[in-house]
Amino acid sequence: MENDEQLERFFDQMKKQDERIEIPAFPEVKTRKFGFWIPAGIAASMIFAFLFIQEPAPIESTTPEVVIITLVEDENQNQHFTIEESTFLDTWESPTASLLTEY
Amino acid sequence: MNRSQLDHILKAHHRDAYLWARQCCSFEDEMAKDVLQQAYLKILEGQAKLKDASKAKTWLFSIIRYTAINEFRKAGKVVSLSDSYDPVELTEEVDATDYQGIIKHLPEMQREVILMVFYHQMTIAQSAEILQIGLGTARTHYDRGKKKLKELITKVQIQEEYGK
Repeated sequence: MENDEQLERFFDQMKKQDERIEIPAFPEVKTRKFGFWIPAGIAASMIFAFLFIQEPAPIESTTPEVVIITLVEDENQNQHFTIEESTFLDTWESPTASLLTEY
Repeated sequence: MNRSQLDHILKAHHRDAYLWARQCCSFEDEMAKDVLQQAYLKILEGQAKLKDASKAKTWLFSIIRYTAINEFRKAGKVVSLSDSYDPVELTEEVDATDYQGIIKHLPEMQREVILMVFYHQMTIAQSAEILQIGLGTARTHYDRGKKKLKELITKVQIQEEYGK
């Protein structure tokens, strides 16, 4: 087609002119992505810290929860209290149980 | 697709990509360099992914065009997408060998389709894909652009003859 020939000539000449344009070198594009070693290093440090810096949990000592106060009479018939601390109670006697037998 | 394959594709199309970037940036060299660098960065950072390697050039041109439009927006320059079919007016004297000056007189879309078809040897369908418009619309821009450019070339030739 005549029209297209005219345009093709136009663009051929334009391309010829553009050959003089200085094409910039292909840029060395540095991506902003993290490399493999940075996250790997962070992960390794965290594992190291978790394994070696972790303090042993203190073992909880059992605290006595029961205080047993007993009134004891010795051979001279002197009465005195003995105080014991324990975590449990074997037997329990009501403080008023003696009333049933002594009176 | 890995980094070296992408590098290879980009290097193979680098010259065409730069010339297209220039054409999208109103033939401003510095802006074109900046736009091309940004387009490459988008690709290598994975913001733009190539699905079909056979469409590499179309894909690259599309990214460059989009990046150039963005740059114009950032600079506050409005890109007119209107497609007027008013008679071509040459307000100033244009040299017949000032091909860029002549082609700049075409409306944006017509100029882009014409450049893609005649300068970069692409099909109208590929141009439609790059411009993200329908094939029918691209054909209309192509026909109008051709007619308008022909008018421009004739006017410039007449201007030169009168000048002599």
